[in-house]
Amino acid sequence: MNDNILEIKDLVVHFETDDGVVRAINGLDISIGREKTLGLVGETGAGKTTTALSVLNLVPNPPGKIKSGTIKIDGKDVLTMSDAELENMRGNDVAMIFQDPMTALNPVMTVGDQIAESIELHQHLSGKEAFEKAKELLKLVGIAENRAYDYPHQFSGGMRQRAVIAIALACEPKLLLADEPTTALDVTIQAQVLALMKELIERRHMSMLLITHDLGVVAETCDDVAVMYAGRIVEIGTADEVFNATSHPYTEGLFNSLPNLHERGEELIPIKGLMPDPMDLPKGCTFAPRCAYATPACEGKVPALRPMGGTHYVACDAYDDPNFRLRRNQNG
Amino acid sequence: MADRNAKVLLEVDGLTKYFNTPRGPLHAVDGVSFTIEQGKTLGIVGESGCGKSTTGRAIIKLLEPTSGRIVFDGEDITHYSRSKMRKKRTEMTMIFQDPFSSLDPRQSVMQLISEPIREHRLLTSKEQIARRTLELMDTVGLARRFVNSYPHELDGGRRQRIGIARALAVDPKLIVCDEPVSALDVSIQAQILNLLKQLQKDIGLTYIFITHDLSVVKYFSDDIAVMYLGQMVEKAPSDDLFAAPMHPYTQALLSAIPIPVVGGQKKERQLIRGEITSPVNLPDQCRFLKRCDACQEKCASSPNPQLREVAPGHFVACHCV
Repeated sequence: MNDNILEIKDLVVHFETDDGVVRAINGLDISIGREKTLGLVGETGAGKTTTALSVLNLVPNPPGKIKSGTIKIDGKDVLTMSDAELENMRGNDVAMIFQDPMTALNPVMTVGDQIAESIELHQHLSGKEAFEKAKELLKLVGIAENRAYDYPHQFSGGMRQRAVIAIALACEPKLLLADEPTTALDVTIQAQVLALMKELIERRHMSMLLITHDLGVVAETCDDVAVMYAGRIVEIGTADEVFNATSHPYTEGLFNSLPNLHERGEELIPIKGLMPDPMDLPKGCTFAPRCAYATPACEGKVPALRPMGGTHYVACDAYDDPNFRLRRNQNG
Repeated sequence: MADRNAKVLLEVDGLTKYFNTPRGPLHAVDGVSFTIEQGKTLGIVGESGCGKSTTGRAIIKLLEPTSGRIVFDGEDITHYSRSKMRKKRTEMTMIFQDPFSSLDPRQSVMQLISEPIREHRLLTSKEQIARRTLELMDTVGLARRFVNSYPHELDGGRRQRIGIARALAVDPKLIVCDEPVSALDVSIQAQILNLLKQLQKDIGLTYIFITHDLSVVKYFSDDIAVMYLGQMVEKAPSDDLFAAPMHPYTQALLSAIPIPVVGGQKKERQLIRGEITSPVNLPDQCRFLKRCDACQEKCASSPNPQLREVAPGHFVACHCV
């Protein structure tokens, strides 16, 4: 048996529009170990959601096109699966939770029916059996059974996201793709939902790809972290490695941009400039134009991920100089 | 707020805003009182539906308050008519959360930023208006080459800079910032927060900073007020509030913030159960009662607690403190 539930190698995804080619993902490598949670961090337009959709082979085509690469779930390549195999994989092996629970739920179907629907489809149970199971699932995510007869608009935001989690768990998938699952929720509700997800994943021995822009959420939930910029991984490692031995200038920039809860009033250090236009990516290292450490050499070639010790990898050629250190690592 | 020389710019006393619904009055804001000194920032935090935005809008009378008193710069503006209020709008403005929907898509950057100047007839000659617009673009760090661009051509950070330039165009004393950075990525968020802070230093602006993000509010505010179901449950200087939160809701709220630190000692999460209750037809008792772990029997039989000062400058509305 393979060690990794998910292995993505050299994935390239482009959107071919009338205005030009949007290079959403440009050679992405990530893997998730069994019963591990990988946090995929990055800002708007980094390609996080496209990565998740690629895993389900659901990139809208046209205009989206998976140009090359392999995506293996449990050793099987998603990109060579037949439609029937894909149908079987989605839901049974891999389930996805979206950011906005209101648009993910059907407004004219009761919540119980929606959960039962996926159970019926994937597990070939009768309607009645499936509905009973739906009620159990609702209880599991902390919603009273009798709410199964309610419609989504009668639920609060937190309850809707719980219902979406219940649907995702219905077929006991091995891998959960969670795309900003708590971004639309208030902090106290976010804390409840994250605690619930963590508990369920542990109890059911699942793996998770957690997509988020919130480094706090990553620190609380993830074993491993991958930082994404302009369609590539720029830094990957265990949470400890990425947070405590930060190595990529972009990751450092993200940390510096966060208001610190403990020290007030100091000026924040934003990353200068903006995310590049994916239709017109800079040559060489795509972060170089915004990077405080960039040299002319950085525009020469795309940096490959290099080992930094342990499971920690970083894509930055400044480390060609063995004495190079990021500022936050310089004193201590 | 101990500085005796500081001038109070805004005084809000017992501000109430009810909305009538078929099931009874909805208590959006229920007896909120505070003062802000010139050049300071009051942060208002709370979760969806706590009434923080309604409070902000009622203060600058975009919504007519149901009762209470608003004194701005020594003038009681509570019952000002629309036309009288129009003049005041050069002194108090607002920055909105969503820079995507708060800008007219058919207007260029020049038109958008100069609109408040033209609207209030602050300048009349075309050249003066154009010059002032370009100055404002410099102030908010928006490159002059965008002067003829339209909002859809710009990213969220630049759009929010337009929003800020529009607010600054009238030379206001007070700006109500309603979630000004919530729609932005962290690196852009930091740029905008730095800009707002720099402006405060340079021209002595007073801010009411409304947000759900506690780390942003701590970075930004001198005083912080925490709202729950239309009421202020705690108000204190920023550092005091974070060092020693007293209201059980504030404590839970602070404990719920995910901290971007791995390893080291982590305090145990204090989860609050349940969700915010409906603000329609509220009984006269503590509004946090059903979700509160500190809840004692006396709370169930006591009336709704009011803010009282429990330490210098630190106000809490809780029977158990």
